[in-house]
Amino acid sequence: MSNAWKLMKIMVKMQLSWAGKSSSEKVGYVIMAFALIPFGALILFSLNNLIGSLYDALAPTGNESVILALFFILMFVIFFVTSIGTVLSSFYFAEDVESFVALPFHPYQIVLGKSAVPFLSLYGLNALLLLPVLLFYGLHSSAGLLYYLFAILLWAVTPVIPFVLLSIVLMFLMRFANISKNKDRTKIIVGMFGFIFAIGINVVIRLDSGGGGSGAADLIREQNGLLELVTGFFPTAYFSSIALTQPASLTGVLYLLLMLGLSIGFAILFLTVGQKVYFKGVLGLSGGTRSRFDERKIHKTIKQKPLIYSLWLKEMRIIFRTPAFFTQIVVQSLFFPVFLLVILFMESNTSVASLGSLLTQLEGKKLVLGLFGFTLLAVGMTPASFSSISRDGKSWFNHLHLPIAPQTVLRSKIITAFTLNLLTIAILSFAALFLLQVSFKIWTLWLLLALVTNWVTSIGGLIIDLYSPKLDWTDEREVFKGRFIGLAMLAIEATVFGTLILILWNVSAISGIWVTTGVLLTFLIILIAACHAGLKRLSNKRYYSIH
Amino acid sequence: MIELKSISKSFTGKQAVKNLNLTVPDGKIFGFLGPNGAGKSTTIKMMTGILPIDEGSITINGVDITDYPMEAKHLFGYVPDRSDIFLRLKGIEYLNFIADVFQVSKEVRKEKIDYLTKSFGIYEALDDHIQTYSHGMRQKIVVSGVLLHDPDVWILDEPLSGLDPKSSHTLKEMMREHAERGKIVFFSTHVLEVVEQLCDEVAIINHGRVQFQGNMTEMKQQFQDDDNLERLFLELTENE
Ligand SMILES: Nc1ncnc2c1ncn2[C@@H]1O[C@H](COP(=O)(O)OP(=O)(O)O)[C@@H](O)[C@H]1O
Ligand SMILES: [Mg+2]
Repeated sequence: MSNAWKLMKIMVKMQLSWAGKSSSEKVGYVIMAFALIPFGALILFSLNNLIGSLYDALAPTGNESVILALFFILMFVIFFVTSIGTVLSSFYFAEDVESFVALPFHPYQIVLGKSAVPFLSLYGLNALLLLPVLLFYGLHSSAGLLYYLFAILLWAVTPVIPFVLLSIVLMFLMRFANISKNKDRTKIIVGMFGFIFAIGINVVIRLDSGGGGSGAADLIREQNGLLELVTGFFPTAYFSSIALTQPASLTGVLYLLLMLGLSIGFAILFLTVGQKVYFKGVLGLSGGTRSRFDERKIHKTIKQKPLIYSLWLKEMRIIFRTPAFFTQIVVQSLFFPVFLLVILFMESNTSVASLGSLLTQLEGKKLVLGLFGFTLLAVGMTPASFSSISRDGKSWFNHLHLPIAPQTVLRSKIITAFTLNLLTIAILSFAALFLLQVSFKIWTLWLLLALVTNWVTSIGGLIIDLYSPKLDWTDEREVFKGRFIGLAMLAIEATVFGTLILILWNVSAISGIWVTTGVLLTFLIILIAACHAGLKRLSNKRYYSIH
Repeated sequence: MIELKSISKSFTGKQAVKNLNLTVPDGKIFGFLGPNGAGKSTTIKMMTGILPIDEGSITINGVDITDYPMEAKHLFGYVPDRSDIFLRLKGIEYLNFIADVFQVSKEVRKEKIDYLTKSFGIYEALDDHIQTYSHGMRQKIVVSGVLLHDPDVWILDEPLSGLDPKSSHTLKEMMREHAERGKIVFFSTHVLEVVEQLCDEVAIINHGRVQFQGNMTEMKQQFQDDDNLERLFLELTENE
C-alpha cells in the first residue's frame, strides 16, 4: 500500500505542477479566478433562494427530501460526465502510462495512483456545489447538529460511486470493445460519445417533461412520494436524502451506514476490477494501425492536384485525424445546430414549429437583424479559424522552405475554416426548410448572410491566431487550452457586430428587408476587404518570423 | 553556385552566426562541418528561407532568397535536421503533397515514388501514417520528397544521422551521382569521418564563424599547422 501511496504522490505532483506553464497562462488563471468571485457569489445567492422557496413549498406535504435528492442526482450526473474525459486521459491516453506499466507495480496500485487527480478534482465541484446546498438546506430546515455531521460524511462519499461506476465502465470498454487498438480512433469515438450523451440527456428530459403532469399532484400528497419517483434510477440519492431528512431516527442512521458501506464496497470493487482489467486495456495502446499494403490503392492516389486543393486536403486530413482537433473543431461546432435540430424534432407539433410562418410577420429590419444575430451564434465561433496556424505546431516551418506563397497557405486555411462551417449551415438550412417551413425567400436571405458572415469569421480567427500563435506544443490540446484565444475572438466579435446591430436597429432611415440586408451585406463585404488587407500586412510582417 | 555574403544572425542576446562568408561551387559535394551548436542549422535555415537574415545576403544559383523567395525555393530541396513533418499524413499523402507543390506530373511522380521508396525500403509503409514511422523512416520519406522534384541544389541538414548503414550508403551514392551531373550537394555534419569519405570540399564552422574552407588535402594540411584547428579536430573526432 505504501507503494501505491508514493505513486499517487508523484502522479499528483506531476499533473498539478505549475512548472512548464507559461507566465501568461498563469496570469490568465489568476484573472479567471478573480473574475469568478462575483459569479460564484451570484450562484450561491440564487442557490440559497431556490432552496428556500422549494423548501417552503414542499415541506407542508412532507416532500422536502426531494430537494436534496435532486441535488444528489445532479451531482451524480455531473461527476459521471466530467470524469469521462479526465479518467480516459489519465488512465489511458497520458504519455506516462506506458512508462508506469513497465515499473514493478501491481495494476491496482497504478490505477489508484492514476485516479488520484481525476478523483480529487471532483471535490472542487463538490465543494462548490454540494457543500453550499447541504448548508443552505440545513439552515432552512433549522436542522440540528446531527444533520451537519451526517451531511459532512455523505458529502465526502458522494463522488465515490459515480467515479467508480464510470471508471469500471471505461475499463471494460477499453478491454472488450477492443477499440484501443487505435489510440486516435478511440479518442474520437469517446469524444462523439460525450456529445451523443449530452444530447441524449436532453432528449430524455424533454420526453419526461412531456408526459403525465396530472400524476405529479397525487404523488405530492404522500410523504416522500415525490422522492421515490425522482430517485427511481438513483438509489444512492434516495439513501442520502432519507439519512439527512431523518438523522435522528433508526432509518436515518441505517441509510447513512448503508451509504458509507456502499462507498467502501465500490472502492474495493474498483481496485479489484482495476487489478484484473486495467492492464489489458493499456497494453498495445500505443502506435496506430498498420494497414495491409495494397499497391493498386497507392497507385490510384498518385495524381496531380492544384496546390490550393492539396493544401486544403492536408488541413482537413489533419483536423479529422487528430482527436483533439476533431472533438474541439468538428464536434464542438456541430453541437449548436444538432442541439437545435433535436429540440425542433421534439417540439414539431407545438409552437416552435409555427415559427416559420411567424417569421414572415416580423418587421423586415428586425427579421434581418434577428437572422444575423442567430447566424453569429451558429458560425461566429470557429475553432477551425483561430487554430489555423497553431494547429501546425512544430511542423509550421515546412510551409517556409517550400515554394508556396504565404497568401496561398493562408487562403487554404481560410477555406478550411469556411468549409467546416458549411456543415453547420447545411444542417440549419435543413431545419429551416423542412422543420420550420421557413419561406424560400427568407431562407435565401439567411443563407447569403450566413455565407458572408462565415467568410468574415474565418478570416478574423486566422488573423487573431497569426497575431499570437502557439506553435510550441507537445500535446494538441494545448492549442485550445489556456490560450484565451476563443475568448478574444468572442470579445472582438461581440464589440464589432454588437455595435453594428445596435446602430442598424436605431437608425430609422434604414428599414425593410431589402434595405437592411443591403446595408448589412455592404458592411460585411467592406469588413472582408479590410480583413484581407489587414491579413496581407500582418502576414508580410509575421509570416516568416513565427516559429 | 550558392553564395553567402557576410551573414549574421542573432537570437535574443546571442549571436549564432557571425559575419559568415561561403561559396559553394557547382558539381561538388560540399561538407559543412562543425560541433553541436556551431551554427550549422541556423545558417541552413537562413539559406532555405525559414529564418529571416539579420545582415548579409544569400543567393542560390544567382537568385536572392530574401528578394525572390519563391523563385529561389524552386531551385533547392531541403532535408531538415528534425523530422517534424506533417505526422498525421500518410507517407504517400506527404509525397503527393510535395509533388503538388513542385507541380510534378503524374507519370514522373509515379515512377520516382516507386523507385525512391523502394530503394530506401519504405515502399510498403507508404499507406501508413508518418506518425508510426521510426526516426530513420521519417528521414527517408523526407529525402524521397526532396528527390521527387529533382531540384538542382540539395541542402541537407545532418542527413545521415539516424539512417541504417544500407540507406546511408544509398543516400551517399545518390549524393555522388547528383554532384557528378554538375549539381550542388550541400550538407552539414558533426562527424569528421563522413566528410573525409564523401566530400570534395569542406567548410569548418565553430561559434558561428567559418574557421576554414578548402578541399580535403588542404584541410589535412591545415589541421597540422594550426593549433586552434587541431583542437577542433579533436573535438570533432571525439564526438562519434
Ligand atoms: N530559435 C533559437 N533561439 C535561441 N537560440 C537559438 C535558436 N536556434 C539556435 N540557437 C542557438 O544558436 C546556436 C547555433 O545553433 P545551431 O545552428 O542549431 O547549431 P548546429 O551547428 O548544431 O546546427 C546554438 O548555440 C543554439 O543554442
Ligand atoms: Mg543542427
